[in-house]
Amino acid sequence: MTAAGVEHALALRRWAGRAPAEPVATPLSTEELLGGFHPDHRPEARTTLRVGASAGLACPAGLAELLQANALVEDIDIAGAPVRRADVLVVGAGAAGCVAALSAARQGARVILANKLRIGDGNTVMAEGGIQAAVGGDDSLQRHFDDTLQGGHAAADPELVSALAGDGPAAIHWLMGEGMAFDRMADDADAEDTLARLRVGGTSAARLLSYRDFTGLEMMRALREAVLLQPEIERCERHVALELLTDAHGRCAGAVFYDLLRDRLILVRAGATVLATGGAGRLHLGNSATSNHYGATADGLVLAYRGGARLRELDSFQYHPTGLAWPHHLDGMLITEAVRALGARLVNGTGERFVDELETRDVVAAAILRELSAGRGIERDGQHGVFLDTPTLVQEQPRILATRLVTVDRLARRAGIDPSREPLLIAPTLHYQNGGVAVDADGHTAVPGLLCAGEVAGGIHGRNRLMGNALLETVVFGRRAGAAAVATARSGPLHHVGLGHLGDWQRQLINAELPLDMRSPRLFPPYGHTDIAGRVEQLRASRQ
Amino acid sequence: MKLLSAAAMEVTELPDWLAAGGGAALERAVSDPTGVIPEIEAAGLRGMGGAGFPAHRKWQAVAEQRAPQKWIICNGNEDEPGTFKDRYLLAHTPHQVIEGALIAAVATGATHVVLYANPHDEHTIPRLEAAVAQWRGHARFQRLAQVLPQPPELRVHATSGLYVGGEETGAIAAVTGGFPFPRHKPPWPAHDGVHGAPTLINNIETLALATHALRLGAEHFRALGRTAPGTKLYSLSGDILRPGLHELPMGTPLAELIDDHGGGMLGGRPFKAVFTGGPSNTLLTAADRDVALDFDSLRAHGSRLGTGAMIVIGEGTSIVRRTAEYIAFFANGSCGQCPPCKIGTHQAARILERIEEGAGQPGDLEALENLVAVLPGSGRCGLVDGAATVLASSLATFRHEYERAIDV
Repeated sequence: MTAAGVEHALALRRWAGRAPAEPVATPLSTEELLGGFHPDHRPEARTTLRVGASAGLACPAGLAELLQANALVEDIDIAGAPVRRADVLVVGAGAAGCVAALSAARQGARVILANKLRIGDGNTVMAEGGIQAAVGGDDSLQRHFDDTLQGGHAAADPELVSALAGDGPAAIHWLMGEGMAFDRMADDADAEDTLARLRVGGTSAARLLSYRDFTGLEMMRALREAVLLQPEIERCERHVALELLTDAHGRCAGAVFYDLLRDRLILVRAGATVLATGGAGRLHLGNSATSNHYGATADGLVLAYRGGARLRELDSFQYHPTGLAWPHHLDGMLITEAVRALGARLVNGTGERFVDELETRDVVAAAILRELSAGRGIERDGQHGVFLDTPTLVQEQPRILATRLVTVDRLARRAGIDPSREPLLIAPTLHYQNGGVAVDADGHTAVPGLLCAGEVAGGIHGRNRLMGNALLETVVFGRRAGAAAVATARSGPLHHVGLGHLGDWQRQLINAELPLDMRSPRLFPPYGHTDIAGRVEQLRASRQ
Repeated sequence: MKLLSAAAMEVTELPDWLAAGGGAALERAVSDPTGVIPEIEAAGLRGMGGAGFPAHRKWQAVAEQRAPQKWIICNGNEDEPGTFKDRYLLAHTPHQVIEGALIAAVATGATHVVLYANPHDEHTIPRLEAAVAQWRGHARFQRLAQVLPQPPELRVHATSGLYVGGEETGAIAAVTGGFPFPRHKPPWPAHDGVHGAPTLINNIETLALATHALRLGAEHFRALGRTAPGTKLYSLSGDILRPGLHELPMGTPLAELIDDHGGGMLGGRPFKAVFTGGPSNTLLTAADRDVALDFDSLRAHGSRLGTGAMIVIGEGTSIVRRTAEYIAFFANGSCGQCPPCKIGTHQAARILERIEEGAGQPGDLEALENLVAVLPGSGRCGLVDGAATVLASSLATFRHEYERAIDV
């Protein structure tokens, strides 16, 4: 879809010689821009789910293949596998998982926090810009609610948005209690309003709270320490969730894990299970670059769907407008939206601005893709993008790289670029799964005993997420799901725990003439050479 | 029951049942009460709760008694894994069951008829109560006074849902009022049942079949079966494409049940074994695929038809996990009266759970084998025998699976 762009050196000369630009009126309406250029709308990438609780739902083909697949394990594999027990099992240890585990543990539950890699290995640490919460005197919960619902094109569940916005200030308070640091307004003497706030794309008030440009990392630091200090949380790192366990009535009863360190299966049985497994970027749907971490392979969606959960807005992904497009080995690495919020502009190969940089992410991303498809992009070593004009920003705010954009500066220098002298080549990068597992305001899914929190859950952001709402979501819904999981875990005993749901699932696949030998979840991207499916088969063969 | 009467499927209103030909068997019984038991005998009707005991002998034994009260318990306690026929009959087509019970009342001179039903399925009791109310107010029910001193007391009794409550003497204890503790037999229920009165206990499916045997006549009824009289409700579940309840000619071969009626093995996986209802019998394996599923043929193969439940196991499903699940079911179902049963089933369940959860120890299999050798015959009822039988069979036939589970 990318036409040949303007050669990099020529584009640089045009950029250097351009006139001070005014905001550009977009010649297309938002709908035309999104419909014509946003990756969600590429027809070849979409299909419709044929089996499961959300049969009929539109879905990217690459994801549908995994959702409508057979499990990696079968009943006989778990015979003789060790079993650990907990009240609450939390799968995934990014922010949402850690917050859920902490919340459950503090209500007296025995918690197992299991995750694919290590605690904090996830997208949380990559959230640079900040976290939204309506704490300002000039802001309100209602405005946060309105901005979020409108930003998501009114597709979100208002009840979930209400929970998100309503719990926002309490979530910030809670994070401070966990020891997280926030940027302060140094020159403000008003003791009740000392948090630095920034107005960002799609919002009507200065609402973004931050810590430098590594807010997520700071948040994860505080959460990780809290988890390590919470004695009721048993940690199972490098445990790869392969399948949910269910009981005779279809209630979720824990999960089957592959223990990467010991090369064996283990079962965790729990009265309630919280999936906090994050997103799907590393599926590289439509061959997209991604800002996501290595483990973001939609495992939670796959497990929940096979367990009987409903999904929503699966065809809606957020492409962050400013992923690094050059050099190739850093393709997709994120450059925070804060750069644009602070005033940096986007410039195409003809030296022109082409969009209001403070539009919502989907609009900015679609506008960049329009430039690329029209041949107004910039080509460098076969990579395509547009310029993020950091040198002009540094001219206007000389200390900005050292004070607010530390990570951007570091990333640019890793790319061999001095961002105060040369604009960065950027292009949209698959950043966030807007949809996910359908949940209620406490994170309950349609499957009894199964809850979801964080990016894996859907319905909070509608069809587009506002900057800063992802970090807030992890805390708000992590706390809600953690508390709800404790109540759920105490709702009665489990009988005949196993993989009973797979029989009916396989019948559905057969009746829909879908292949049983397609297996999921994917767990790791193929270039990682961590073939869990192969290892599970080896284990099975060794026991024949 | 479709083979017996297409209209018997999903009929919950008494007028619909009568309009579809129901009630004729009861009319026949009322017009010739002494002719009922010979007809049931000629039809070859046997007990469908698992034992396969000839129905007419139980009926005759109660009919012969002289007593001011006689009871009939329609046994719908059905609770065992993999069996789901009685709950279907009671909730979806209760009138053929009630009519069968009233026929038995006419034949035996019963004063009380109790529909003893498991309440686990939320629809069962309300629908049964509604069906009973329809009968009580109907002229056909009042007409029973022509052959009985008065129409029997007809009522619904929700069971405890406990497995032992399905045992004959356990059911008697429950209907008498108390915990369903089974007791030794004799005295047999026909002599000493509810409140000491002669009592007939029949399975729900048996009573439904009695209605059709009398309606169709013995000869017609017998001819419906293949290797034995009548039809059978097979509860088919496990690793097959189409699980469900199948009413088929008695003696339908296992392979035909699985392949033709069950749609074949799920995903084409190889066949491994069948736990028969339930599940308290010797496992059927690939060598038994052609066996006719009737009481005598399965007995000749060293197993039992039981309730007609067929839990099919394919490659990929663990015999150890299934057995552990069923033994845990029996251990939880043990009423605790007989120490060998109480301790033995719990010990077996504990060892199996340990093996299943990767904590099996050397000597565990020998301990299980020792248990299955000493336990049979040690209980008042058959619970411990069934548990020992299925465990012994699974150990003998699939010992390698146990060894593998301990090995990992």
